Amino acid sequence: MNIVSTYTWCQFAPAFALVGLAALLILADALLPRIPKRAYALIGALGTFITTYFLWNGTHANLFGAIATISTGLAILLAFDYKKISCESIAGAGNEEGTGEFYALPLVACAGILCLTQARDLIMLFVSLEVVTLTSYVLAGYFRRNQGSIEAGIKYLVLGAMSTGILVYGIAWYFGMTGSFNMNTEVVVSALSGGVAGSPALAIGFMMSIALLFAGAFFKVGAAPMHVWIPDVYQGAPTPTTCFLAVASKTAGFVVLCALALPFAPICIPGSLLGKCIVWAFGIVAAATLLIGNLGALRQTNLKRLLGYSSIGQAGFILVFFLNLSQDTMTLVGAYLAAYALATTAAFFAIAMVRTQRGSEEIAAFRGLAKTNPRTAFLITVSFASLAGVPLTMGFMVKFSSFIICVGSIYQWPALCWLLPIMVITAAAGFYYYFKVLRAMYWEKPLASDKPLQVPVCTAAVLTACAIMLIYLGTRPLIMLG
Amino acid sequence: MIPLAHYLILSGILFSIGLAGVLVRKNILVVFMCLEMMLTAANVALVAFSRAQGTAGVPVYDAQVLSLFITGIAAAEVAIGLALIVAMFRARRTVESTALNTLKD
Repeated sequence: MNIVSTYTWCQFAPAFALVGLAALLILADALLPRIPKRAYALIGALGTFITTYFLWNGTHANLFGAIATISTGLAILLAFDYKKISCESIAGAGNEEGTGEFYALPLVACAGILCLTQARDLIMLFVSLEVVTLTSYVLAGYFRRNQGSIEAGIKYLVLGAMSTGILVYGIAWYFGMTGSFNMNTEVVVSALSGGVAGSPALAIGFMMSIALLFAGAFFKVGAAPMHVWIPDVYQGAPTPTTCFLAVASKTAGFVVLCALALPFAPICIPGSLLGKCIVWAFGIVAAATLLIGNLGALRQTNLKRLLGYSSIGQAGFILVFFLNLSQDTMTLVGAYLAAYALATTAAFFAIAMVRTQRGSEEIAAFRGLAKTNPRTAFLITVSFASLAGVPLTMGFMVKFSSFIICVGSIYQWPALCWLLPIMVITAAAGFYYYFKVLRAMYWEKPLASDKPLQVPVCTAAVLTACAIMLIYLGTRPLIMLG
Repeated sequence: MIPLAHYLILSGILFSIGLAGVLVRKNILVVFMCLEMMLTAANVALVAFSRAQGTAGVPVYDAQVLSLFITGIAAAEVAIGLALIVAMFRARRTVESTALNTLKD
């Protein structure tokens, strides 16, 4: 079977466009030093938004791709607002030298995610996933004058490369046991019954390869027990990179997980021993991820670290969708990721704004924002309320759908009933730690020296747009019901 | 003719040494070598399987293509990794992983 003939060039047109734009920006950065670097940010962000338009409808329609491109564009805009800190941490205050690639590299990673969404075999999946992760290592360690950034880069690289090693070893065994790189139901079913020869050794080797593949994919989405990198990397990496990792890179992880898990959908029926194993594996991983993410977040004071734990916790709610594998799984995961992306991006814009003007990423730095900047404080409130899952926001709708899937799975697999109380407890814990930020904004008094924050144009636009989308998409289902 | 099992045992040993080294060793350069060893293990397995899955002496070239991609990606990873290690050495005068202690709970 020829892998090249599985794809058409046209499928990858959006990815080529982004790589081309990135190459142009990097060349311009090297050859035309007169152009101010922030122009690259605006051009890059514009490029991703145009790509999103083509991914949203037409021949390239692609939900995950659209989420990835739009969040990459927002991460680049965030880098634009964050340029003061970038200059300080790369070449020294006021010096823009060497900051150009910081705006161009997310485009390359985004192109990797677009290829990933088109992947129908493991070679394509692996190579495009590596395009995303290798670029993310560079972005995480980009602030070379900042101890935290270098440390985040090295930790991410070592743990990420380890998960790559595990994933690729799984791919090698997958090929060895099936003779193909395709992930589809026929290949999976045939290998599980021992292939043509019907040998049990082959089935065992295949299960080992599947375990290795899932371990690699769980690392990318930050599911327990492969979550250890997330808090450190999120805290240490530059804020625009953290925003990219939290949303776009997580989308990539879930694309991989969907591609690996969906071929097993016909097997996951009550009465099948293997189906039971798979559902239990997802149930246990989801429960562990929910508990570690949400309970770990309770005692955090650094907001970036808190959002790291929150991203683990939210991944737990998404993993619950995998208990009931069907064609709808991708849509549900996509909807959850969209809600998470809108709220988290807004939160990172708020962090960047506070960091630039108050010099701190602690929750305490949000003190008294409701007094000094009441409108901004309200917009930030909407995004954190959506992360916590307050009704009338999109975050509530998607979290509710996660609960519905959980209840549906418990009907099918009554032994999984312990998952529901865990989800309730962790969702409640979410209210506590997300509302710590709201408490700082509304209940704490600003210091006498605190001036009102200057809200940059991009930040104001993005915060408003995210808040409107979250409320609109959160109330629309109710309006339609009414 | 060396049987397939021998190649797989070799690749299994390489993979285990690599994984153990990543988890146990403190020097980040050594950790890097162990990471490369994990990728090499996959390469050995892929090339062996590509012969074993082939028919009439013609291997399945898909697997060998993947092993070339893995080599390329490993090279890119090392380039990035060494750059980060140099940056770390400049900042801290050490490449021990125990020195990575600014970020913690």
